[in-house]
Amino acid sequence: MIKIKHEQLPALIDFLSEKYQVYAPVQYGKETAFKKISSASEINKSKYNTSLNPKEIFFPQSEVMFTYDKEGIKTPLPKDKPIAVWGLKTCDTKSIRILDEVFSNAYQMPEKEMYKDPYWIARYKNCLLFSSACNEPLSTCFCNWFDSGPFDKTGSDVYVIDTGNEYIMEGISDSGKAFLENYKAVEQVTPEDQTKIDELKKKAKSYMQPPVELAGLKDKLQDIWDDPIWDEVSAKCINCGACAYICPTCHCFDVSDEGKEDKGKRVRLWDCCMFQLFTKEASGHNPRELSRNRVRQRVMHKYNYFVENYHEFLCTGCGRCVQVCPVNLDIRRVIQKILDYDKAK
Amino acid sequence: MKELQNKVKQLLNDKEIDLVIGWSKGSLPLVSTPVFITEAEQSDQLIFDHTCRNNLATYLTKDRKRLGKEYNKIGIVVKGCDARSIVLYVTENQVKRDKVVIIGVPCQGIFESRKIIDATGGREVLEQKIDGDQVILKGRGFEIKVSRDKVLRDCCLSCRYPDAPEYDYFIGEHRGEIDVKDEFKLVDDFEKKSSAERWQFITEEYSKCIRCYACRNVCPSCYCNYCFVDNNDPQWVGKTPEVTDNIIFHLIRNLHLAGRCVDCGACVSACPVNIDLRPLNKKVEKEMKERFGYTAGLDINEKPAMASHRENEKQDFIMG
Repeated sequence: MIKIKHEQLPALIDFLSEKYQVYAPVQYGKETAFKKISSASEINKSKYNTSLNPKEIFFPQSEVMFTYDKEGIKTPLPKDKPIAVWGLKTCDTKSIRILDEVFSNAYQMPEKEMYKDPYWIARYKNCLLFSSACNEPLSTCFCNWFDSGPFDKTGSDVYVIDTGNEYIMEGISDSGKAFLENYKAVEQVTPEDQTKIDELKKKAKSYMQPPVELAGLKDKLQDIWDDPIWDEVSAKCINCGACAYICPTCHCFDVSDEGKEDKGKRVRLWDCCMFQLFTKEASGHNPRELSRNRVRQRVMHKYNYFVENYHEFLCTGCGRCVQVCPVNLDIRRVIQKILDYDKAK
Repeated sequence: MKELQNKVKQLLNDKEIDLVIGWSKGSLPLVSTPVFITEAEQSDQLIFDHTCRNNLATYLTKDRKRLGKEYNKIGIVVKGCDARSIVLYVTENQVKRDKVVIIGVPCQGIFESRKIIDATGGREVLEQKIDGDQVILKGRGFEIKVSRDKVLRDCCLSCRYPDAPEYDYFIGEHRGEIDVKDEFKLVDDFEKKSSAERWQFITEEYSKCIRCYACRNVCPSCYCNYCFVDNNDPQWVGKTPEVTDNIIFHLIRNLHLAGRCVDCGACVSACPVNIDLRPLNKKVEKEMKERFGYTAGLDINEKPAMASHRENEKQDFIMG
């Protein structure tokens, strides 16, 4: 482990910028979001996670898949420098790694069956993720439900702890270790620093509510798929897409053709299972016409279907959906309700 | 609060209603959550305070089934703006007056979370309490007192009708019509800007839109079975969240709300990216008032603005 002083961050960002396009949390209107930066002065140093999610760095809300004209088809894959992201929280880092399983298919499938998404890979390849320990989790945070916590290092390339005046950094992956070895302007960590880290860790942990045991959740969901409980769960949902669009792991998309016969483009856009249109078929039939079925789909995808396919939840407990839901349909309460539910009664 | 709970308990026990839509305590200190109650003993969950931001009328049209059933008679707890939405529904033949039991509550204004965040300097509020005309906000390592007017929504600060204009029962004291002097100050200021400044405001604000449609879906007046943005054959609006298409979505929604917006602020509170939606909403409201003498949702016997004509209406926009 090594450390740099807060004042040395601009130099670190400049050094990173030589080889990488650097993304970091910035003020974006009244919100905070991950945007490309050219200097450290643009960084928003809020202790909390950003209001908008980091998935848009690698999986933008709209992506041109190809353009066409009379000359033919062009596929404009991004060919910039690799991406480095500063200021991710542990939940954010984990969500990017989960999405990589979807788009690059790290999940163990036979090679020829793997789908490798060229657009995701073009941005994700050789990326360097600086993952920060979370000193002050919000009351909406529930990362500790998912075998994680505010000081989880999993998924980091470089793990960063902000002690108030210094950043302590630890290389976790090979690329993270290599980066720190190349970065000379650093000091070694002292035993006092270790004490500081332990204190911060203890404090962050004390801010969080005790985790809810999710071991039985997947099977429970399987069991209640056709249960009237979904009418109750979904009653207040107004079926907007705020939760899904603010979520760092939701990744459903739509493909839309924009243009005319002789010139145009095909665009990939975020879509959301809360919308009626999401499953509406050309015949006019809609298998998820009812709100209850759409709400069920979102819960099932995150805590059952995805677990079945990828052996982990499609949720990192970042709490963004809890913050933005216009009707306070708190996913934590939904999960708790399902776990407490006794079908027989 | 107790009075409201008892009233609802009685209405459910007497079978005067078979469902009540109200607010209950939310999972976060600054927000409440809509609740649907069918059993008298659940009435204790009902609350009414500064956190009741949702316009509950919206649930009367969005999906007529709640909890998997249709109801014969629905009770609904309302602020002034929610009641005006119900009046609008009756005038637009969306809800039959005798199918709803309207329970008015005296509204003192609703919190604007964004203003509270600003008041605490971005720190998280874990507890709030009203103390006279002050609000006490507590979080980790801080406790501050702010004047209530500083953290109420803009629409509440310029609200003329805090009481339900139409109700079956009213719980608590009426506040009466409030003599707001500068109801349209926001619009007046906006109109004074140059066209370049106005355009800059519109492009800046609407470029942030992520097209989650939370504004449309919480809006009581947006109840089209099929919204124009969802139409894909032909596709009227591009699905890409580019500023031009975002503006088309918001402007058409604005115009579609002419004479129908009650300025309940639900869209403003719902927006996850805090777009300043109100100037254009209020502009259309002002036009309707000045040109047609029409304010939405006040008179249950009035014909909707877009379905009526008065001889003395200004027609200069047609005649030039």
